[in-house]
Amino acid sequence: MSRGTLSRLIMFLLIACVISVIAPQNSVAEEIKEYTPNVSPEEYEKRYNKAFGEFTKKMAEEGNPADMLLDEGKELFHKVDGTQGRSCASCHGQNGEKLKGAATTYPKYDPGLKGIKTFAMQINICREKHMGAKPLKYDSPEQLALEIYTKSLSNGMPINVSIDGPARPFYEAGKKFYYTRMGQWNFSCALCHIKYAGHMLRVNLLSVNRNHADHWPSYRLEWAGTGSLQKRIQGCVKNMRAKTSELHSEEYRNVELYLTHQSNGLPIQVPGLRM
Amino acid sequence: MAEVGKIRIKLPQSIKKGEVIPVRALIIHPMETGLRKDKDGKPIPAYYINDVKVYYGDELITSMEWTIAVSADPFMTFYVKADKAAPLKIVYKDNKGGIFEESVQINPQ
Amino acid sequence: MKQKEESVELSRRQFIKTTIAASTSFLIAGSLPSLVKKAFSETPVEEKIDDVLKRHFGNRKIETAHVDLKAPIIAENGAVVPITVVSDLPMEKDNYVKKIYIYSEGNLQPYVASAELSPANGKAELALRIKMRKTSNVRAVLETNTGKLYQGLKSVKVTIGGCGG
Repeated sequence: MSRGTLSRLIMFLLIACVISVIAPQNSVAEEIKEYTPNVSPEEYEKRYNKAFGEFTKKMAEEGNPADMLLDEGKELFHKVDGTQGRSCASCHGQNGEKLKGAATTYPKYDPGLKGIKTFAMQINICREKHMGAKPLKYDSPEQLALEIYTKSLSNGMPINVSIDGPARPFYEAGKKFYYTRMGQWNFSCALCHIKYAGHMLRVNLLSVNRNHADHWPSYRLEWAGTGSLQKRIQGCVKNMRAKTSELHSEEYRNVELYLTHQSNGLPIQVPGLRM
Repeated sequence: MAEVGKIRIKLPQSIKKGEVIPVRALIIHPMETGLRKDKDGKPIPAYYINDVKVYYGDELITSMEWTIAVSADPFMTFYVKADKAAPLKIVYKDNKGGIFEESVQINPQ
Repeated sequence: MKQKEESVELSRRQFIKTTIAASTSFLIAGSLPSLVKKAFSETPVEEKIDDVLKRHFGNRKIETAHVDLKAPIIAENGAVVPITVVSDLPMEKDNYVKKIYIYSEGNLQPYVASAELSPANGKAELALRIKMRKTSNVRAVLETNTGKLYQGLKSVKVTIGGCGG
């Protein structure tokens, strides 16, 4: 081999090495080193009851301000809206009888969106496509009222979201986000809610994420109001001192799929009431 | 979130004559203390329920005074001796002159 | 002569002016606290629990009995603390609890609420959700129609949350 060819070959090999090192990894195919939950859901319940008792639970049973939205949602469901002279009940039946169980499979992959569709998005899609009605602003009182009512039709039924087929890469992306260190403190969701679940963080007991998705929309004492899981995710990211995205952004929808999958098998209980 | 002044009163399913029953009442109201500031630093004026009256039929049976220290979306439980078939009415008044009321029928069996 | 008169006149005018000015400003200064208080009449005056109790009950004896105060040991959120006042005192025509007073002792203004009851209530029991500023006692004082006072206390821990909010 001539000296010129050899030096060209070495150059080529060096460049190939550099490129292979700095080239972006296919992040979805990357394996995340998952944590083992520090406590089981049962152990977390035990610690929670020991610390706080059943007072918040009792407040939820006795008087949940979000129940008012449930009533409003029922009215909205039966109210005609939009250019086509229909109400939700026109297609879905009086008292939403055709929607029993519908909420158990959300969020889900939508081929039209080529991504994950949340229940709130489906309500807006229905309104625009089948009622000629304006989409409702996310986490506005009317949107929450309608979501609470329609979801409540599936109360008691087990959550059953799919992460198979086209949903899988989005589930993996959601899990990856959950494990991603972010913000001024370099926290990740998984750090508190899996690795250190069961520990006290100031006066909060870090919850394990088994039950995180089964009670939304929920009244939160902290908000003195009702909000969606999307809003809670956004709030958590803000609490971690990390940059937030819009409600129903791609990353938050993916996280919602991951979280809801964690709650698979648990009964839907809407609206919730939490600290 | 829900409309301010919306009230929900819950009675037990079955009521026996003369039974002392719990009455649970929830009203949507911000119960703003007047001590908070908005994000521009401007004080948010106090806006809270300060007077609650309960009527059983024509009789005023309970009268309450509330301060800003009662939680937002106030919830209370009080008791009533259900000795007659009559409406139970709760009237809430706030510091801005708002008046909200709701009635439920007590029908002891 | 003229100069002297002038100076006397001036100083008299000055004296009157000064007196009026002084007395006006004293009047204003005197009423300032009440003006300020009026402006802040929505804001509660800061008070210690002992002073509030004195204001409500004077030197009357309050017996710690017959009142059970149910509240969480740790409040999950100090803005909404569910408390229940329970008492075994009778609610009969001539022997009943006529008023329940509720206090959160660590609040700037400890007085939270009061309820005037009647025998028609059947039970001296009241549940309410209250705001607590910090770890302190919640106290309920019950006054009977005969003027007897009873109380119950419960300590509730309230601290800043972690990332819950």
